[in-house]
Amino acid sequence: MNVELQINNSTNPNAQFVSWAPSPCRIRVTNPAGAAGPNASVKLSSTSAANGGSVGFRSGTTGAFAPTLTLTLPVNGTSVSFFTAGKFGQPSTNEGDVRIEARVGNTMVGAAKVMVRIRKNANTLMPGERDRFVAAFAKLNNQGLGRYVDFRNMHIGAGLQQAHGAAGFLPWHRTYILDLERELQAIDPSVALPYWRFDQAAPNIFKPEFMGVSDNLGTVSFANNNPLQFWKTDGQPGVNRRPLFNIAGAPPNPISEAATLALGTNFSQFRTMEGNPHGSAHTSFGGFISSTSTAPRDPLFFLLHCNVDRLWAKWQRQNSRFNPAVVASFNNNNASPVGHRLQDSLWPWNGLTGGPRPPTAPGGTLAPSPIVAAPGLSPFVKDMLDYHGVISPASNTGFDYDHVQL
Amino acid sequence: MAKKLKTAKRTAKKVSSRAAMSVATNVDKTAKQRVAAITSAPLAVVESDKDMQAMLAVLGNTDEPIAVRLAALQALQAASFSVVAFESGRGDYVATLRKVATDPDPELRQRVLGILMRDKDGFAQKKLLDGLKDPAKALVPPEKALQLLSYDVHTDAYEVARDIVKKPPNDDAKREALRLLAADAKAAPIFEKVLRDKKELRANRQIAAAALHSLDPGKLQQQARKILLDKSDYDDIRATSLVALQQFGDDEALGKDKALLKSVKGFSGGKTQAKYKQTARQFLSKYSP
Repeated sequence: MNVELQINNSTNPNAQFVSWAPSPCRIRVTNPAGAAGPNASVKLSSTSAANGGSVGFRSGTTGAFAPTLTLTLPVNGTSVSFFTAGKFGQPSTNEGDVRIEARVGNTMVGAAKVMVRIRKNANTLMPGERDRFVAAFAKLNNQGLGRYVDFRNMHIGAGLQQAHGAAGFLPWHRTYILDLERELQAIDPSVALPYWRFDQAAPNIFKPEFMGVSDNLGTVSFANNNPLQFWKTDGQPGVNRRPLFNIAGAPPNPISEAATLALGTNFSQFRTMEGNPHGSAHTSFGGFISSTSTAPRDPLFFLLHCNVDRLWAKWQRQNSRFNPAVVASFNNNNASPVGHRLQDSLWPWNGLTGGPRPPTAPGGTLAPSPIVAAPGLSPFVKDMLDYHGVISPASNTGFDYDHVQL
Repeated sequence: MAKKLKTAKRTAKKVSSRAAMSVATNVDKTAKQRVAAITSAPLAVVESDKDMQAMLAVLGNTDEPIAVRLAALQALQAASFSVVAFESGRGDYVATLRKVATDPDPELRQRVLGILMRDKDGFAQKKLLDGLKDPAKALVPPEKALQLLSYDVHTDAYEVARDIVKKPPNDDAKREALRLLAADAKAAPIFEKVLRDKKELRANRQIAAAALHSLDPGKLQQQARKILLDKSDYDDIRATSLVALQQFGDDEALGKDKALLKSVKGFSGGKTQAKYKQTARQFLSKYSP
């Protein structure tokens, strides 16, 4: 007998990825030879490679995940649903480092390799994870000609008013880095955007093999085997970044994670983090990243914003602030600028130009995911709050953080 | 009740920002206390025009301690990320930055010129170019001026950079001149020459590879192949060449290039540095599995 496992209800190789959120799956008998009756009892379990991820299973939409699950499959080929999810605390390091096995008795009748793909602390990435990330990022940048140019053009001029200075700051940047991450995954699906914890020492990030080393002038040099040596923006190769702190430690000005999470239990209080730690993290350097108009020219910018988003995710979890209908989750104010209210669509993914929106909308719609439908191709501010699908599973946007348990 | 609580919290925040601004601008406090107050609430400076003006006054006042002025600059920069709130004070901010661009303190001068140039400020650009043409007028060392000019390159800067490449005052200045020229379509031959010159600093050869790829990607592919076939060239430059081919080359052509694959195979063993052996093996696993 043989069975087929469909992770995220798909056999697409780019869909064989899970996070901490439940992934809907299917299993069906494809070859009934040897079956004793109209149904077969199949046990699901998983094995992990060294440093690999781990998953659990459950049969329905609720309940705890367990290391094994026994399902009764009709041998006529009808699919049976189940759910799998990454086991919190054990993310993958390589594509396919978890094998889901289906057995009848001791006989394996089917298997699927998956990856528990999670956003991690950039300072503690394994060399392979780091190298895949920089290779994909360099490919996306593609000498300033690639899709990266759109990301650069979104965060400049009139576009900055859509992204900064009001309540939409956090939802806009969540969408922005999700779009970038999905583009990176289109190049290498095993990549997740890592974050720079700017309240901790992160010396491994500022090495030639990763984000590069700055000299006294602020000119960044990369290792000869690091593809970011070909990084180019605005017609100029290279990166300018002058740390105003000792990179063996953390920058002194951004407030700590604990202080950020203690800013208040209402969104209106929490969003003051746009100043500190966000603004203070940017201005811990001279060079590209320290000015709004040039910040996306430094690849570190995206790691910084991934951490800003992680802090929001952690605050959301701490205070149960996923539901846009709850006032404390988002201070919706009709007097806020367009793009910063719950019911507003997010520029540039909405394609709107002119009037209260910028004159151009670079990049088109949000990159689609082969795994989840949310937040849609042209998301609204309200779509970006329930990123993990806590309120509604359909809202899951497909990413999670290593230390944010939901 | 809830409304009262909300108002109280809002007032508390205002008081907190107010207190920070009060300490920040109080000359009777120590510099350390004032720096701590400024960094605690960078967005306080955009809460009112008065606060913005007070912080700009601190930044522009040469009698203030330099640590306080640098902190004021950093807070204003952080606040500038709040684009909407900052907009009304932007004109005064730029005017103060231009004033401080000629400040006696070199660190402050350098930071301010960097902020202005990232916004393509014509005043700062002229000052930097004047300093490169006449060192007596220089506000920053030539290598820093070249780096800052690369934010908004004009023909004048290319001419100066070409002269510096020919007769550099120091290695850093040559490197920054090369980086600036990487946007000049006419500079491809310079980079081709630098890339193939084994006597050139290897950091400059690495920049030349990136610049050549930017200006003439096909030419870099040709040169990268030649460098990989040349066993006498340096490991690091061969690694740069390998990455250029693997990341941006024609996969089909590379897979059929037997001479290249043989050379990369040699590079993956022997006395090659371990980190580059790994790069070569990755290349071979992709093109010669």
